[in-house]
Amino acid sequence: MMVRVGLLLRVALGAALAVFAGAGAGAQTPGQDEMNVVDQPGYQPTPDEEQLSGAYEKQEVFFRTTEAPGTIIIDTKGRFLYLVQGNNRALRYGIGVGRDGFTWSGLQKIARKQEWPDWRPPPEMIERQPYLPRFMAGGPGNPLGARAMYLGATVYRIHGTNQPQTIGHAVSSGCFRLVNDDVIDLYDRVPVGTKVIIRQAVAL
Amino acid sequence: MGLNGGNDNKGLPVMIARRGGALALVCLISAFVAGCGETPPPTPAIVAPAVSTDQLVGKWGFAAYHKDTDRARTAKEAAAQCNRPYVINKGPNGGLMMNMADQKELSELVLKAGPDGQTYLGPPGPPGGADDRTVTNVDANSFTTVWVDPDNASRYGTSVYVRCGKR
Repeated sequence: MMVRVGLLLRVALGAALAVFAGAGAGAQTPGQDEMNVVDQPGYQPTPDEEQLSGAYEKQEVFFRTTEAPGTIIIDTKGRFLYLVQGNNRALRYGIGVGRDGFTWSGLQKIARKQEWPDWRPPPEMIERQPYLPRFMAGGPGNPLGARAMYLGATVYRIHGTNQPQTIGHAVSSGCFRLVNDDVIDLYDRVPVGTKVIIRQAVAL
Repeated sequence: MGLNGGNDNKGLPVMIARRGGALALVCLISAFVAGCGETPPPTPAIVAPAVSTDQLVGKWGFAAYHKDTDRARTAKEAAAQCNRPYVINKGPNGGLMMNMADQKELSELVLKAGPDGQTYLGPPGPPGGADDRTVTNVDANSFTTVWVDPDNASRYGTSVYVRCGKR
């Protein structure tokens, strides 16, 4: 019981710190607002928890780019993923960016798509949380959420999450995470081979 | 007979009466405490768990699933995780050194036989407590656990352990 309370306190404290530090989403610096939240395998958020609001809610926005419609552009600093629509418009999704997501930028393609992906916690996570199974079959409550899109031959991916409170924040693990409804929506819109551009910041 | 003698003669029955009263009191207390003249209720027999500590000691591939349809492939995945095994050693008191839910530090856990015939694994105490997990499907090379606590059971599902290096 105490452990669970402790876990909830850690999550709540992490969320409070992240909200405080992340007041200006566009001006964040990687590492400064990292949300100190551990993975919660098996946790199933309520529909209310999964409902985003404000800037991080999926919406069509003005977006000036020379990239072709269908291209994905990820703004790691702003915590947004854009799906280019053409005519200076894009669909914008709020994302959480894992530590790994900050360490690189560049150009990739979606190499593979997976519904309800299995989860294999990386070794450093097993070191931090040795009680975790080394493999968890995909399904509701899985930390990778409802869908995953694998980027090139890298270990990086765009995926869902069972922790919607992490959207808009830097988190300790993972790459680019969306709430499950959004990742399902994106998954259905983009085929394998879709161009993905990862940038530290996007100038509109 | 002096004054005292008269008193002496009266003293015996008084003493007997007093002793008798004391005896009755002792019996009454004894009856209250121990059930005078009755057979004490039988103490529950301590049943040894069906699983022995030695059966769970070792290095294990460790995986989990939530849907029964994932069990077979989860067991295969568990076997594939022996490059980062979950190690169970014997504790200083003969128990098993394992993690409790969400706890980084190891605790010494014991196997317990439940009145429902199930084998429980958890901290010393009555079987079936919130910190326990059931242990099932035990053979030489695998076993399965499920947390008793509904929240833990919901989050972690069914855990499958497959021995690294067959016995």
